[in-house]
Amino acid sequence: MDEHVSTARMIRPRLRLVGGVCAGFAEHTGVPLPTVRLVTVLLSFCGGFGALLYAWLWVTIPSGAAAVDPLPKSSLARSRAAFLPAAPIQAVPAAMAGSVATIGRSSSTVFSRADTDSARAAPVTEILLGLALLAAGGALVASRLGADIPLAVVVPAIVVLAGTALAWRQFADIRSGAAQQSSALLVRILGALVLVAVGILLFFVTGTSPSAWTVILAAASVLLGVAVVTAPWLLRLWSDLADERAARAREAERADIAAHLHDSVLQTLALIQQKAGPHSDAARLARAQERELRVWLFTGSRSAGAEPATDLAAALRRIAGEIEEDFAVHFEVVTVGAGVRVRSAASPDTNSGSTDAPESLVAAAREAMLNAARHAGGAVSVYLETSARGIELSVTDRGPGFRLDLIPKDRLGVRESILGRMHRAGGTAAVRLGPGGAGTEILLTLPTQTVPVTDDHHTETSVR
Amino acid sequence: MTDHKASDRAATESSAASAGLCVLIVDDHSIFRSGLRAELDADITVLGEAATVDAAIARVIDLQPRVVLLDVHLPGGHGGGGAEVIREAAPRAPHTLFLALSVSDAADDVVSVIRAGARGYITKSASGAEVSEAARRVADGDAVFSPRLAGFVLDAFGAVAGETAETTEELDRLSARETEVMRLIARGYSYKEVASTLFIAAKTVETHVSSVLRKLQLSSRHELTAWALERKLL
Repeated sequence: MDEHVSTARMIRPRLRLVGGVCAGFAEHTGVPLPTVRLVTVLLSFCGGFGALLYAWLWVTIPSGAAAVDPLPKSSLARSRAAFLPAAPIQAVPAAMAGSVATIGRSSSTVFSRADTDSARAAPVTEILLGLALLAAGGALVASRLGADIPLAVVVPAIVVLAGTALAWRQFADIRSGAAQQSSALLVRILGALVLVAVGILLFFVTGTSPSAWTVILAAASVLLGVAVVTAPWLLRLWSDLADERAARAREAERADIAAHLHDSVLQTLALIQQKAGPHSDAARLARAQERELRVWLFTGSRSAGAEPATDLAAALRRIAGEIEEDFAVHFEVVTVGAGVRVRSAASPDTNSGSTDAPESLVAAAREAMLNAARHAGGAVSVYLETSARGIELSVTDRGPGFRLDLIPKDRLGVRESILGRMHRAGGTAAVRLGPGGAGTEILLTLPTQTVPVTDDHHTETSVR
Repeated sequence: MTDHKASDRAATESSAASAGLCVLIVDDHSIFRSGLRAELDADITVLGEAATVDAAIARVIDLQPRVVLLDVHLPGGHGGGGAEVIREAAPRAPHTLFLALSVSDAADDVVSVIRAGARGYITKSASGAEVSEAARRVADGDAVFSPRLAGFVLDAFGAVAGETAETTEELDRLSARETEVMRLIARGYSYKEVASTLFIAAKTVETHVSSVLRKLQLSSRHELTAWALERKLL
């Protein structure tokens, strides 16, 4: 039975008769459920062994619902484990009988490092409960065999062990954030503590004839017991506080660095761009550096450039950045209206009520921007407007300008990759003379039936 | 505010007469100050420079420049940066106008200085010629909007969502014409290009932009007041 528990996780199903132990055991081992139940009942008549075993499993085996949360706990434990010297972590309770020595060792190590985390606290609960039940079972067996059992010692010991174990479990719950209601938890903790206190008191009161010394000793032991039980909790609170303080210090430091970089480096980069003129290599490098720095400073994500942008505005900015690296051009990207996500072409074609902009719009915009960079350069405006009517995107340059009917028929750039793409996406594209008769303006529109806007209000706030 | 406006107009006439434009550069980075000083057009006279909020307030009151080129982020004072300079200095320098310069395009930065009374907002990557042009425009009583600021205005006033002001008196929404003008400015059009595209006079464009600026400063629209509250401007 032990190896079953230790190899894979045994779970008590949600659908249960009493505690779900038999059902869980049956499911885990493959033994028919009625057989398991029968054996349990039979064992219960053998000095109550079956009932004790049942109780022990009931407490130690996670139920179906609770089994969801070991993941964060274990990941927490892993991250913590790096800082602590290696100690034998008994993930699963040791055997009930025959390994008392192991239990003693592991429980003592756990007790000695009272600041252990919740993951290591779990076996402590089970070990303590196991000890309590072992004591109870041993007493039962011994009394069967006719030995004279000092009940005055055994009963309090069981109570103390059970109380400590329960308290420990509550603390672990608090720590792991599984606390559903702090008031209920508090009541349970107090109950466990009272159990400990009563047990310790029982030791002395029922033992010998009461004298002043036994009373003092009892009081001292109660205090000590409560202190031992609450110590891990206090230590955890303390370490939580320290963690939080450290995190806040890191955050403040980061903000400090950001402010400094913002003031000094960005200013210098702006100056370089200003001095060098939009067409020079120096300006291009400064601009690329500025963009990277801004991404790092204000979004906090170092890999922002690597992953494909899901937001249309972000996608346009990323494209602008990429083109700026290759051409002497500066894009001024202005986005207005609610944010629109980009629907990937790889995903199965969603219905027409989808809230996303098709990838072909992004591709057409990219081509238009590339066109402006190649033939005009300098300052190019990209304006994106998303509204209830649809998406409107314009790319305006100040270059020599060109007319669509003058482009040779075999030139695919504009005709196919911009006009054709937009047409297939259900939108329109127009190439016209830029403002004031200079340059070129490419206007891409996508009417609304394919693109209702998403709810979040996307403003310039995102563009620091 | 109204007498401020009147004095603006009076000062506009006087500055138009004297060709030289006197500016004060306020920025906490000496490299940037000297760079900008060298880049500005020859007919613009730099009266002085200031690096902190306190120094800037003192200098504005002392020198009474026509235009202050003001960095949004400044050390000193009560931590209010450029907006604090405007609030403290403007009452004692009635003929001085403020043009905000910033490396940041963040909405709260824009809102804070505009609502404090700046007549325009441009980014620091603008060239010397662009800054000179903007300064001249501000000196002539116009508002200066960068494309980003125009885009931000469209968002803040819900213009894209189809909200339109019924009357010209309404402060919380843009009129249809103002929306059109803002949309073109957001596309990078100059005032002249906006005028020719919309078939209106350049002066009319300027009127629209000034009216938008006034709304930006006086409106109690939620989006604007929220930002202003955040920056403790109200």
